[in-house]
Amino acid sequence: MTSETTAKQVGNDLGVDLDDHVKRIGRQDRVATGILTVIVAFVLLLLASIVAFILIRGLGKALTPGFLTTSPLADENPGISSEIFDSFYMLIITLLISVPISLGAAIFLVEYAPDNWVTKAASTAIETLSSLPSIVVGMFGSLFFVVTLGWGISIIAGAMALTMFNIPILVRVIQQALQDVPRSQRDAALAMGLTRWETTRHVLLPAAMPAIVTGIVISAGRVFGEAAALIFTSGSAAVNINFASVNLSSPRNPWNIFRPAETLAVHIWKLKMEPTPGNDEIVWGTAAVLIICVLLFNILARVLGKTLAKKMTSE
Amino acid sequence: MSDSLSRRSFLSLAGGTAVVLAGLGLVGCGGSSSSDTSSDSTAKALSGTVNCSGATSFQPLVEAAAKKFEDENPDVTIAITGGGSGQGLSDVRDGKAQIGRSDVFAEEKLDASDAKALTDNTVCVVGMGPIVNSNVDVDDLTTDQLKGIFTGKITDWSEVGGTAGKIQVIERKAGSGTRATFEAAVLGGESAPADFAPVAEEDSSGTVVEKIQQTEGAISYLAFSYFDDTKFKALKVDGVEARAENVCNGSFKIWAYEHMYTKDADEVTQAFIDYMMSDEVQGSMVEEQGFIPANDMKVKKDASGTITNA
Amino acid sequence: MAKRLMPKKQLEGVGLTLTGACVLLVALVVITLIFMVAQQGLSAFFVDGINFFSFISGTSWVPSDGVYGALPLIVTSFGVMLLATLFTLPIALGSAIFVVEVQPGFGRRVFQPLVELLMGIPSVVYGLIGLTVVNAAMRAIFGDAAGTGAGILSGGIVLAVMILPTVTTLSIDGLAAVPNEYREGSYALGCTRWQTVWHVVLRSAMPSLMTAVILGMTRAFGEALAVQMVIGGVEKVMPAGLLSPAATLTTALTSGFSNATTGSIQYHALWALGLLLMAMSLVFILIIHVIGAKGAKNRD
Repeated sequence: MTSETTAKQVGNDLGVDLDDHVKRIGRQDRVATGILTVIVAFVLLLLASIVAFILIRGLGKALTPGFLTTSPLADENPGISSEIFDSFYMLIITLLISVPISLGAAIFLVEYAPDNWVTKAASTAIETLSSLPSIVVGMFGSLFFVVTLGWGISIIAGAMALTMFNIPILVRVIQQALQDVPRSQRDAALAMGLTRWETTRHVLLPAAMPAIVTGIVISAGRVFGEAAALIFTSGSAAVNINFASVNLSSPRNPWNIFRPAETLAVHIWKLKMEPTPGNDEIVWGTAAVLIICVLLFNILARVLGKTLAKKMTSE
Repeated sequence: MSDSLSRRSFLSLAGGTAVVLAGLGLVGCGGSSSSDTSSDSTAKALSGTVNCSGATSFQPLVEAAAKKFEDENPDVTIAITGGGSGQGLSDVRDGKAQIGRSDVFAEEKLDASDAKALTDNTVCVVGMGPIVNSNVDVDDLTTDQLKGIFTGKITDWSEVGGTAGKIQVIERKAGSGTRATFEAAVLGGESAPADFAPVAEEDSSGTVVEKIQQTEGAISYLAFSYFDDTKFKALKVDGVEARAENVCNGSFKIWAYEHMYTKDADEVTQAFIDYMMSDEVQGSMVEEQGFIPANDMKVKKDASGTITNA
Repeated sequence: MAKRLMPKKQLEGVGLTLTGACVLLVALVVITLIFMVAQQGLSAFFVDGINFFSFISGTSWVPSDGVYGALPLIVTSFGVMLLATLFTLPIALGSAIFVVEVQPGFGRRVFQPLVELLMGIPSVVYGLIGLTVVNAAMRAIFGDAAGTGAGILSGGIVLAVMILPTVTTLSIDGLAAVPNEYREGSYALGCTRWQTVWHVVLRSAMPSLMTAVILGMTRAFGEALAVQMVIGGVEKVMPAGLLSPAATLTTALTSGFSNATTGSIQYHALWALGLLLMAMSLVFILIIHVIGAKGAKNRD
């Protein structure tokens, strides 16, 4: 074989094949794009039908006057007032515990972390936490917080279990936010003679705040719907809350963190497990309320993030 | 401008965490011990806290009664938690709860010595009956037929006088009180063969209701309190209707006690148990919730399942 | 901050201590958790004398009768996880490609926020929908063979929807991180968009895509309540097929925990299941690390 014939053959082959080839890959491209579009449409449709399904089944009950404000223990037309209160109260306690810890841990990992095994072990620990099944966290909580620490089935035990979920999510969000602050800002601050601590507090944190706040609110939405870890730690029984109670140690005092509580998600689970007449409506009503809350959290996160960002840049 | 403020708040946030966590341990211990002391240091007006955990099957009844009791005794709190019979029995054994609710006898779950230390209060009786999907055209089954179905020997509705169609057996989880009661009464102590697999083993009455409605040819069993004609059909057993009065007179055999176990009950706990046994609860509330007052029973059962005349 | 209250060095020390303490606290909690779960779980083998090998190879799980064979639970857990991954992967990857390569504007502004919303829907609500819709659909499609409609397939479908947002968002991040020069190079050679995606973008994003999938699998493996509502819960025999009712490690835990008295063999056996679950999530993390290390090596 000589080099001339090879070149000619290749030329011929190319000449014949190229048109065909271009057509084929063009078609391939169009088909692929078409399939991708169908997939995306499917995902959007799925989301829309899930939300619509819940709202159609539950919105009627959710909007019934008194449903949101009547106690679940009322003789007639029980509502979900104490579940709503418990859900938000537990969420606030969880955030009070988990935000500072996550903030500290994230700052450490981004700004201070020496490149050694301690840092590696710590970040692996946080990663482990993020992958643990919620039921395992619940079991651990039921043994450690409820029994070993003697807190009993309580809001605080539930909040601690939720904290264990929330920390890895928050640490990641805050870490990301801090890392996204332009290098030049950090360098400028350090060059001015500020310590790392001052740089973090006065330069990095304010700059990262919009992203951090968005992350916190989105994580709040997740925590709000968690149930598996709470069944064994904060209980699955509605509490006969007495808002007039002034005795903080009474299990009926709404603010007592050592009383059992039942959140909206747990309420759904419990009612589905132990049906009594009329429960179905309450279940779907509660689900609708839960979904709306999660929706609001998402919108709030975005609005808050945007406003904060605007404020930061305008000042 | 808000510099000093934000600095302080941040410091307090980050630093306060450790303090909060340390503090919680102390308050936690304080909280639980105060509830113990307050419950036995009363003279006239009752006050204190009663922790009541355990079986969820009659939790709505106890919740309703507790609410009334709390209304009458404003200083008393009945803290009700779920967790299941196992939880309730271990809690009352370990002193973590004053009352442990269970739908099985303590002897079946605890060591004999532990069970002996507990006081059994049978607050009511729950009847259970076989139920089928509304489309099943069988109304009555004999105990033997039921036994055949739940051991996998009878698999088609035509074998028990119905239109041909596969029998879909929905069981409750092994270990549930409902299943234990049903098997004791219907299988006569035998258990289903190891290779017989039902189409579902549900954790709860709620999922049973859901599945029996959806599944053609399905059969399962439920407590009377969950019966709902609009969703499924209850069967007669040996010609006897699954109704409270048939349980009371002993002609309907599938039933169990709902127990509220106590251990060295203090004053408030005893007062609440007494209230549960009083006419106020037994007279109306028990029946409203779909249970049978313990006092109405003309027969009784012991832990081994033997039935005698009361 | 005109006046400094502390010398710089001390201030730096305060920062280091405060933040270090937070990290330490988290690490401490994780260590406590691993220790306690291991202690409770292992006592099933060392105190109560359950044979470890018969525990993981036994084909029947009836804790109330003292029969502890976790194989059906293990098989089902992996079964639903793999099914869910199988269903989710093409959809997640497809929408990620669409969002990054075809319509980036629509992706960032509309699609991603909506998918994140899907992530926020509580698992009990997914279970509720699964119980009413998916189970009924199974019966409508497969008839009597599907039993009540509850089974591994139903569990896989519900889980697939649940992990879809996780896998999608992480895939989007992975694809978006591919440097634009790669694409430009490919287009400059005359490649079509699909060729560029298939031969260049997907290939260079492979490590992060695999991480996305494994994180999704981790979530599927650990989910409890939603699966419990739709899977049928039969623990005593090995599942015979995709339509068989079955139980996973997590559902055996949620349903068994309430029937066990603390300190009993049954209780410890349940903790042993928890230990298995924990060990598996550690393995998943290990895999992610290995992939990450490999990806870093390939990039160099």
